[in-house]
Amino acid sequence: MFLEINKIKKHFGEGESKIEVLKGIDVGIEKGEFCVLLGPSGSGKSTLLNIIGGIDQADSGYIAIEGEKTEDMSEKTLTLYRRKHLGYIFQMYNLIPNLNIKENIEVGAYLSDNPLNVDDILHTLGLYEHRHKLPNQLSGGQQQRTAIGRAIVKNPDILLCDEPTGALDYNTSKEILKLIEEVNQKYGNTIVMVTHNDAIKNMADRVITLRDGIIRKDYKNEVKIPAEQLEW
Amino acid sequence: MKNPLRKRILREFKQEWTKYLILFVFMSAIISFISGFFVASGSIRVLYDNGFERYNIENGNFEYYAEASEETLCTLEEEGISIYENFYVERETDQIESSLRVYNERSEINGVCLMEGEFPKEADEIIIDRMYADNNEIEVGDTLVFDGEDLIVCGLAAFSDYSSLFSGTSDMMFDAMKFGVGMMTEEGFEQLGEVGLHYNYSWIYAEEPADKIEEKEMAEDILTALNEHGMVTNFIPRYLNQAIVFTDEDMGNDRIMFSAFLYIVIAIIAFIFAVTTSNTIAKEATVIGTLRASGYTRGEILRHYIALPVLVTLLSALVGNVLGYTFFLEVAKGIYYASYSLPTFELTLSGDAFVKTTVVPVILMMVINSVIIAGKLKLSPMKFLRRDLSARQKKKAFRLNSDIPIMSRFRMRIIFQNIPNYLTLAVGIFFANAIMILGLAFPALLKNHQEMISQSIVCENQYILKVPANTETEGAEKYCAYTLVTTEEKIKSESVSVYGLVENSKYIDIDGDVLGDLAEGEVIISSAYADKYDIAEGDEIVLREEYGEEEYTFRVSGIYEYIAGLAIYMSMDSFWECFDCEEDYFNGYFSEEKIEDIDEMLIATVITEDDMNKMSRQLTVSLGGVFDIFYYFGLVMFAMIIYLLSKLVIEKNAQSISMTKVLGYTNNEIGGLYIFSTSIVAIASFLLTMPLINKVMEVVVRIMLSSYPGWIPYYIPSASFVRIALAGIATYGVIAFLQFGKVKKVPLNMALKNVE
Repeated sequence: MFLEINKIKKHFGEGESKIEVLKGIDVGIEKGEFCVLLGPSGSGKSTLLNIIGGIDQADSGYIAIEGEKTEDMSEKTLTLYRRKHLGYIFQMYNLIPNLNIKENIEVGAYLSDNPLNVDDILHTLGLYEHRHKLPNQLSGGQQQRTAIGRAIVKNPDILLCDEPTGALDYNTSKEILKLIEEVNQKYGNTIVMVTHNDAIKNMADRVITLRDGIIRKDYKNEVKIPAEQLEW
Repeated sequence: MKNPLRKRILREFKQEWTKYLILFVFMSAIISFISGFFVASGSIRVLYDNGFERYNIENGNFEYYAEASEETLCTLEEEGISIYENFYVERETDQIESSLRVYNERSEINGVCLMEGEFPKEADEIIIDRMYADNNEIEVGDTLVFDGEDLIVCGLAAFSDYSSLFSGTSDMMFDAMKFGVGMMTEEGFEQLGEVGLHYNYSWIYAEEPADKIEEKEMAEDILTALNEHGMVTNFIPRYLNQAIVFTDEDMGNDRIMFSAFLYIVIAIIAFIFAVTTSNTIAKEATVIGTLRASGYTRGEILRHYIALPVLVTLLSALVGNVLGYTFFLEVAKGIYYASYSLPTFELTLSGDAFVKTTVVPVILMMVINSVIIAGKLKLSPMKFLRRDLSARQKKKAFRLNSDIPIMSRFRMRIIFQNIPNYLTLAVGIFFANAIMILGLAFPALLKNHQEMISQSIVCENQYILKVPANTETEGAEKYCAYTLVTTEEKIKSESVSVYGLVENSKYIDIDGDVLGDLAEGEVIISSAYADKYDIAEGDEIVLREEYGEEEYTFRVSGIYEYIAGLAIYMSMDSFWECFDCEEDYFNGYFSEEKIEDIDEMLIATVITEDDMNKMSRQLTVSLGGVFDIFYYFGLVMFAMIIYLLSKLVIEKNAQSISMTKVLGYTNNEIGGLYIFSTSIVAIASFLLTMPLINKVMEVVVRIMLSSYPGWIPYYIPSASFVRIALAGIATYGVIAFLQFGKVKKVPLNMALKNVE
């Protein structure tokens, strides 16, 4: 198993306000698999994504990539783990505001010993002509494309996407989903995407539905629908 | 209903308490120090001003070669003045190396304020100046050996005509270690005899002159009258008497300097507050947008954001004033009483110190913050809601060459992004370094001056004679000397010594041919004279008689390296011709050996290395502690500015720092981006401001010293810059370490917070 999620539990708050967000999640994800984590607000999907990404810690259980457990890692090793294996795409892009588009992608490239060509990515993302602009000079879709560029330029093993279309309109959302689909096909990265948009599940290899911190459904799509044809 | 936003103020204070505490402590410290000085100097100024009436201080004094007759004095009094005998005997003291000027008992003029002990009653008792006594560790009851006479010190006092212990008008500085004044009973004074006796008279105008111009004209009339009745050997109207006027002028300069110092520091702190508040506004943009959209006015929001800076300043000013009126008043008093010979301190409270140290700083803080923050709040509510805080169209990014490594470009972007912070940082570093340099430069400058004087000393003993007298002393060389004064200033003029030298003088190393070849009216001048008055070869200088109107014009033909005084050199022949002297006239000797075969009565003065070092010695004694305070104050200011502004850069970029952590950047790499950028700016500011500071300090020191007679050339050793650099690096190292801790603490999940 490439990505092993083993009996992950997590809570927030104490005493009467204690909430069990994850109540023992057990999942294994194959290399190159496009997995969608689906669920309503508060279901624990983003928390699970953050634990996979090593930016939050589980109360118990562990995450392992190719057998390497994150719970045993020091802060320094965890940083190296993110550097080596992970690419992150957020709902709110989180671009560095004082770097231009190309430089934001180069920030990702710097972390890899074998990065993809930045100019190629700019062309692929349709951002080449905007490369000298600052993030606040671009639309939301263009900014999200930049964030995707920054995440994929280091050619990570796993691409973690937290509601990547949450702040975008219908057309732009579809553009972004197409891009993520292309990335998955072209580079073969494992993708874990959190969304509450039910329609997006149809483009994934695998769909895991969470509610109240428990996996309610976990299945593989027999027939995937290309992002282009998704409707909601 | 009160604005509910005020409830945030205390919370904001708690949230940022380190920043506010640092600024509060710093402002309280500077305000208390300066408030103490203002209260002390204000009280002393009242004492000083009242002293003219209370002690009946003279309008001037003059000295005749011989005692004036009653008839002469009566004739002179027809000029509208009252004349009082004020004879004194000036001789060396035996057990300490100093000269003491002992006055006859005073009852009518130039009163004496008893500070310890009692006035003399017996012939062998003397009351002496308190500061001279302190500097030489003389106490009431001690025996002072005055030129072989044992005198009992019965009291210590402040002489109203010697608030600064200047022995003469041409002195560069008073010297309260090597010169003092005292007073004896009439009987005791008579017993001292005639050696070193000066027939000195003081005068008081029947009607006070209206202004300085009239005072000068009246003094000139008196001098003309004096010259008609005898040989005037000394003439000092009050406005030229450094011993009386220097204290007032110097304290006036102190007040201007301290006010300027306080307001510059407050302005820098106001800018620090403004940039940190701008950062808060950027963080809270959507909240501001919502409030504005809900109907809050710009003014309400502006008042909210400037409330804390103003409150902290007000609190600092109040605490500073309490400390200033208590602890620091004693400190300031101590410093003034170590410099000036002042009567017993009486505290006078005035609103002036309070206004300058409380009202003005608060207004300054309010104005600077209002202007900057109001500019930030000008945007429409929609722009705030969209977090689009640029007043102009969206800014374009600077193009940076892609060949530059990304990490370097990243640092450059951080610097561009934080230009307002870094500009404040650069100005702060400039000012902090200037204060440190001032603290280090003055002692070095004075030490250098003493060393240069030692090196350029003409001879061990330079004699000025009252009348020509021959000596058999080996190596003694005759010269002619005369004193003229500068004409640049309307009221104040400065003495310049004019020397006529023998050919190939052994003591003044100017080639005999050079002196001999000078055309009529051509002279060589000392480098001190050239430097102070910015005179170059070929320039013309105009001097006039010290006690007359006749003017002399000279053309400068060369500059002789001599820093100990303002001097003009010519050949003896030229001197005789210029001043209409008989051939073979001379009135002084340069000599390595002491001349012992000339009657002391014929010797006017002996100038030694000690005399030339008066200024630097006194400045070192009275200001030594202040220089240290300046240095450490500058260092603390340097640390505070760097700490607060580098902290701000990290806080402003916390989201990006968090994101780079999520991407997989290590803490060292992130520190290398955000802390190293500040390091680059700090080092660049340091290196770039140093030459500028050097230039500015040269001008400042030049202005500060130009009001003193004589000249101390500007000099800062490279070691001072190195010392500041090392102190700066060490301080910065500690701060960078603290900031690295802050970078480490930026949480990873900060990147997950929704930022619109």
